[in-house]
Amino acid sequence: MKNILKILKKFRAMRALNMYPILLGTCLTITACDSFTEVDFPQSELMGTAVFNDAASVHAAFANIYSKLRDNVLITGQTNGLNVLLGLYADELDYYGVPGEDAETFYRHSILASNTEVASIWNDTYNLVYATNSILEGVQNSKELSEMEKNAFMGEALFIRAYLHFHLLQLFGPIPYITTTDYRINKDVKRLPENEVYPILVQDLLEAKTWLTGQENYEHTRPTAQAANALLARTYLYQQNYTAASAVASELINDGSLNLGDTTEMVFTATNPSTIWQLKPEAGNPTWEALTFIFEETPAFVALNPELVASFEAEDSRRLQWIGEVAVGNETYFYPNKYKTREGSGDEYSVLLRLAEQFLIRAEARLYLGDLSGAKEDINRIRSRAGLDPTVANTVESLKLALENERRHELFTEQGHRWFDLRRTQRAAEVIGPIKPNWKATDVLFPIPEMELNLNPNLEPQNPGY
Amino acid sequence: MKNNYRRSYAYALSFALFLTYNSPTFSQNQPQKTISGIITSGADPLSGVNVLVKNSARGSISDLEGRYSVSASANDTLVFTYVGYKTQEVSVGSLSGSRSLSFSRSRSGSDGDIVFNVVMEVDAQALDAVVINAGYYKVSDREKTGSIARITAAEIENQPVSNPLAAMQGRMAGVNIVQTTGLASGGYEVRIRGQNSIAAGNDPLYIIDGIPYDSQTMGFSTVGATTIPGGNISPLSLLNPQDIASIEVLKDADATAIYGSRGANGVILITTKKGKDGKTAFSLSTYTGMAQVANTINYMKTDQYLKMRREAFANDGFNEYPEDAYDVNGTWDPNRYTDWQKELIGGTAYLTNAQATVSGGNGNTRFLLSGGYHKETTVFPKDFNYKRLSVHANLDHTSTDDKFQLYFSANYAVEQNDLPGLDLTQLTRFLAPNAPQLYDSEGNLNFENGTFANPLAELEGKYLTDRKNLITNARLSYRVFPELTLLTNMGYTTTGLDESRTSPNTKYDPSYGLSSSYSSIYTNRAQKESWLVEPQIKWNKTLEKSKLDVLVGASYKKQTDDVLSHFARGFANNSLIYNLAAANTLSVNRDALTEYKYQAFFGRINYTLANKYIINLTGRRDGSSRFGDGKRFANFGAVGAAWLFSEEAFIKNKASFLSLGKLRASYGITGNDQIGNYQYLETYSSTGTLYDDVSGLQPTRIFNPDFGWETNKKFSGGLDLDFFRDRINLVFEYYNNRSSNQLVGLPLPGTTGFPSIQANLGAVVENSGLEFSLNTHTVKTKDWNWDTGINLSVPKNKLIAFPNLENSTYANQYVVGQSLNIKKLYHVTGVDPETGVYQFEDYNGDGEISAPEDRQYIADTAPKWYGGINNRISYKNLELNFLFQFTKRDGYNYVLGSASPGEMANQPDFVTDQWQNEGDQSETQLFTAGYNFDALIAHSRYMFSNASITDASFVRLRNASLTYSLPQRREGSLNCKIYLQGENLLLFTKFNSGDPEQLTGFLPPMRKLTMGFQLTL
Repeated sequence: MKNILKILKKFRAMRALNMYPILLGTCLTITACDSFTEVDFPQSELMGTAVFNDAASVHAAFANIYSKLRDNVLITGQTNGLNVLLGLYADELDYYGVPGEDAETFYRHSILASNTEVASIWNDTYNLVYATNSILEGVQNSKELSEMEKNAFMGEALFIRAYLHFHLLQLFGPIPYITTTDYRINKDVKRLPENEVYPILVQDLLEAKTWLTGQENYEHTRPTAQAANALLARTYLYQQNYTAASAVASELINDGSLNLGDTTEMVFTATNPSTIWQLKPEAGNPTWEALTFIFEETPAFVALNPELVASFEAEDSRRLQWIGEVAVGNETYFYPNKYKTREGSGDEYSVLLRLAEQFLIRAEARLYLGDLSGAKEDINRIRSRAGLDPTVANTVESLKLALENERRHELFTEQGHRWFDLRRTQRAAEVIGPIKPNWKATDVLFPIPEMELNLNPNLEPQNPGY
Repeated sequence: MKNNYRRSYAYALSFALFLTYNSPTFSQNQPQKTISGIITSGADPLSGVNVLVKNSARGSISDLEGRYSVSASANDTLVFTYVGYKTQEVSVGSLSGSRSLSFSRSRSGSDGDIVFNVVMEVDAQALDAVVINAGYYKVSDREKTGSIARITAAEIENQPVSNPLAAMQGRMAGVNIVQTTGLASGGYEVRIRGQNSIAAGNDPLYIIDGIPYDSQTMGFSTVGATTIPGGNISPLSLLNPQDIASIEVLKDADATAIYGSRGANGVILITTKKGKDGKTAFSLSTYTGMAQVANTINYMKTDQYLKMRREAFANDGFNEYPEDAYDVNGTWDPNRYTDWQKELIGGTAYLTNAQATVSGGNGNTRFLLSGGYHKETTVFPKDFNYKRLSVHANLDHTSTDDKFQLYFSANYAVEQNDLPGLDLTQLTRFLAPNAPQLYDSEGNLNFENGTFANPLAELEGKYLTDRKNLITNARLSYRVFPELTLLTNMGYTTTGLDESRTSPNTKYDPSYGLSSSYSSIYTNRAQKESWLVEPQIKWNKTLEKSKLDVLVGASYKKQTDDVLSHFARGFANNSLIYNLAAANTLSVNRDALTEYKYQAFFGRINYTLANKYIINLTGRRDGSSRFGDGKRFANFGAVGAAWLFSEEAFIKNKASFLSLGKLRASYGITGNDQIGNYQYLETYSSTGTLYDDVSGLQPTRIFNPDFGWETNKKFSGGLDLDFFRDRINLVFEYYNNRSSNQLVGLPLPGTTGFPSIQANLGAVVENSGLEFSLNTHTVKTKDWNWDTGINLSVPKNKLIAFPNLENSTYANQYVVGQSLNIKKLYHVTGVDPETGVYQFEDYNGDGEISAPEDRQYIADTAPKWYGGINNRISYKNLELNFLFQFTKRDGYNYVLGSASPGEMANQPDFVTDQWQNEGDQSETQLFTAGYNFDALIAHSRYMFSNASITDASFVRLRNASLTYSLPQRREGSLNCKIYLQGENLLLFTKFNSGDPEQLTGFLPPMRKLTMGFQLTL
């Protein structure tokens, strides 16, 4: 210590005046630019708030949602969409792909809580829910957008939010209904019982309908008030609110701008007047549905269940027009052929909501309301369009079966209708049980992805059976 | 901002004042004589010797010819000091008469001016005293206060490796390096003293010739992850190991705090080779060799496999095999057998390496220029390879007055890697042994009528990478006064990457009828550019009994990263696949330009007293653009001290066998900012996908301004001992590092819409451990030499605190008091003798097995201890080097990711003890072909149970080389060495699932054998 002091003392005695400028100069350059660490905003990204200053960028935010739904998420026509997965899970499709792939676990009913496809459905769908909530919040807070624009965007976002939750509800049963972008809230959410989710769906759809009324969309490639109505009718039906379901479906059936038509041809072309909402394929490309389902030799991935094909009446035009077949040796394989264009851009769009379903919704609602003739009338409207005679069913029970059959033939391989129908009418065990060796009563719900339970224990308990 | 500005201005100013106020001046109040002369080592002049007038601040330094000149009065004593030589003192008065001093000297009779020549005597104990690069400063091994490990060219050159990181494996205590794939250019996991951060980067900071080198891969995982784990192609493989002179690893706070926010995970300093004074030397070296997969798993052969399958179907109650059970239902030949590992990864890879160097220097200027070429093929069935061409240039110049110094180096490398679109290793683990032949009779890929996913079809797709890398560094320094040097370190680095993975339609079974309109390609083009300027002032003062070194400096760095990644599908012809313009659809996967700016002020004060006590203070103030306003700046610093107790009289006199004894300790704070750019902003970015002619915009991040630096407090203590003048050298070290304010990509549940968010977690992670290294020169005779180096590390990683862990997203991953490397698993209690299905411990006793509640079995996969034993034995011109590397740890075995036994996927041949009949006590559950749901579920749990963890300890003959130097006819004539080198030659382990270091199903480390020669003229 003594030594150090001594040295310091010595230093103090020394002077080297000519060092000042150098040192000072250096120190100044060192300190002069403290703001050096300021960076510009990333050029390739847009600040969140900037998106909502301008209608064009809000449209782009929606384009993200629609392109994801079309190409990757939930109801995509790709191999990971509900068309395929629920078709395999129910009795519509048979699996011919590489053994051990995820799609096969749906076919075999060997889904585990760790299933990556189930996890993707969950995560990717909630990611789109975030995107819609982000639009809702951004639009509400925007000072730049006009009232007209705001209304249209709000309605559209609410509709999509409901559409996404509707499907999650069918797949997972009790689910969290996400209405904010705040991750602090969303990371601890609890699941709501199914009967509490339905009212929220209805409320979102009613609000969407209000905002969207008067907004036109010529090609139906973006949801309109009609789309909100169509999903509303379906929601009421699933909720067993038959009066409301019938009323809303009637609204659409009586809507002059929609028309079921008298033929099952061209139903999936872009301009068909029975279409309520459809997704436009990427420019220059066909629909994913056509790419996924159609095969030319032996099936490489999935083929239609021959039982389903056999269940069509011989003269059913849907059997002829919507189902394709390939004969290899003695075997004949069938594929869904609702979408026919495989190369280049065709005139087909991926239809998500169409008027035929509304007739079937109203028929079911009427049936449960006791209006048997009304129900028959609606069923027959669908049948006559397919070139079939009126149904011979007369009793409530036989009409229920006739209706189930009609839905099966009209809506096969479309976003999982068949599976949802079997589930909500509690017919799954009866119909699927015998054909799937792994069937368990608990298969009516998918597992909450294992990882999600780890990350948010509030999602417990796991669905039974997993 | 303003406050920060003021504060740092104040800091710098006080530094300046401190320096100037305490600056030496020259007292001139006594009659002076000028003493001058030449200082030599006996033969050669010594430049840079400190000549000091004792008890004053006057002094001088000898020039390149060894000349010095100093003025002193007759009462003064001159002190001559030089690293590696004994300090000598002589009183000026004695110079005028006595001749009894041991110095060689001469006197001139002129007016009091004295000519006095000095021969410095080598200090034997410091003979090998190595000067160690500590980054901003150099320090002798003897005087270092920090913990720094080092390897040199001598060790690197004995290894036929293409990545410098590979050359470090097993050679340094506290440094654990694991290769992630056996492919050249693949990544390495480097951990210096353990994992500090839960979720931010744990990679050390790399500095090449003074320039920070971004070790983050530029690869885009979508493009490369099927071939190279994580798409992580190592940027370090762009540096030719043969251009490296030394690699220093800075481990403790004392050594790393001067790197501030980037020092938390340690610093790896790479110094490239420089020219030496002397005649121009030419050197040519080349080697060539072979490599093969060293360690495979034994899978079932056809008989055993089919027996398993048949039993499985019988268990599942099938009388007739289903249509898609091709292996057992007769579709595939039941008598075929293919060893898929041999078929798909059993090939031989060839290595070629050549290096030519010319170097020289003439006292003032030195240069070195070298060029290298490295080629390595793969073990896959088709022709794939890795090529690298590298150039290294180096120039340094010192002005004749020794005041100005210039140093320049450049490293340039071009690399081409041509690989399959998928690493086939994973496939070899599942293919049925009786799967059909790969080619049909016409030589086309055989898909066996659509029943066989031909693995070779994967080779139709290619993963190509092209990289270019330039690292330049210039350092200018000027010694204003003998004590004061101004210098600036400048660097410019640019790296370009072009990678693509193709997926042509020929990959698919032709019966799918897919035309080239289904062919697709992923591409990624990335460019990284950075520059650095670091003005510095160095000041040192040697006093009578003490020495002071001061360094202050600033650092400015800017880095830009530009990435453009495409996906294209549909080509008129596959030969157009690399022409994106020819694609039917083209989408942009990523287009990002990011900027990273970094600013720091740093300083060091080192004070040595009486050659015994050393104190070293380092500090740094850092600012990084990766953080939001208000969180942008932080201070880091460390204090280190050392006591050379062997210099104390009581040791010197009584225990002279102890040539060096040093106790050292340090404590300090470093930081970690490895979190990526712009993480605090809420942003939308383009998806590149169109909907209805509108290009999508997606939310990419949640707004989050509140995260800041991760801090890492490090304590380290060490004992350095050297016995019998370098014969036995021992180092013990203890460290205890605590990382807090953990910066975490906090995983979020899916309901938030995002997988994670950046946040500072109040968690504390502790890494503590013991390190030990021993170097001996066991035999040192004229003909025989035997050196041994042993290093051993015993690390311990522990999560000390984690507030609210049970409610956090990490609840099911970590446990307070346990290591970060734990896995929470099911605990398998055996196979139920009744049902034949695995049973698991029901931790919460609810009668059901579910995750996460019942995944409570804790397995720790961190290494318990690891190290290496290196031997160098030479006899005359023959030299043998070999390194055994060992690790004690548990690791995942084949069970993780395995198929349920009985399914259409092969199993290791030791899966034999399966349940068959009621009452069986067995190890493996009953076979199922995939129809027994309970068994499937049980297997899915089994994969994540304690059964998936086994002892993965090993001893590996990592490296061996035998070199013979042809006798030289005369001094300076052609020198020729021939050598045999091998990597990964032997493995001793109980582990039964392939290579214990490759647990992820990618290509394991290769066994290499090469032969080569080196000519030097």
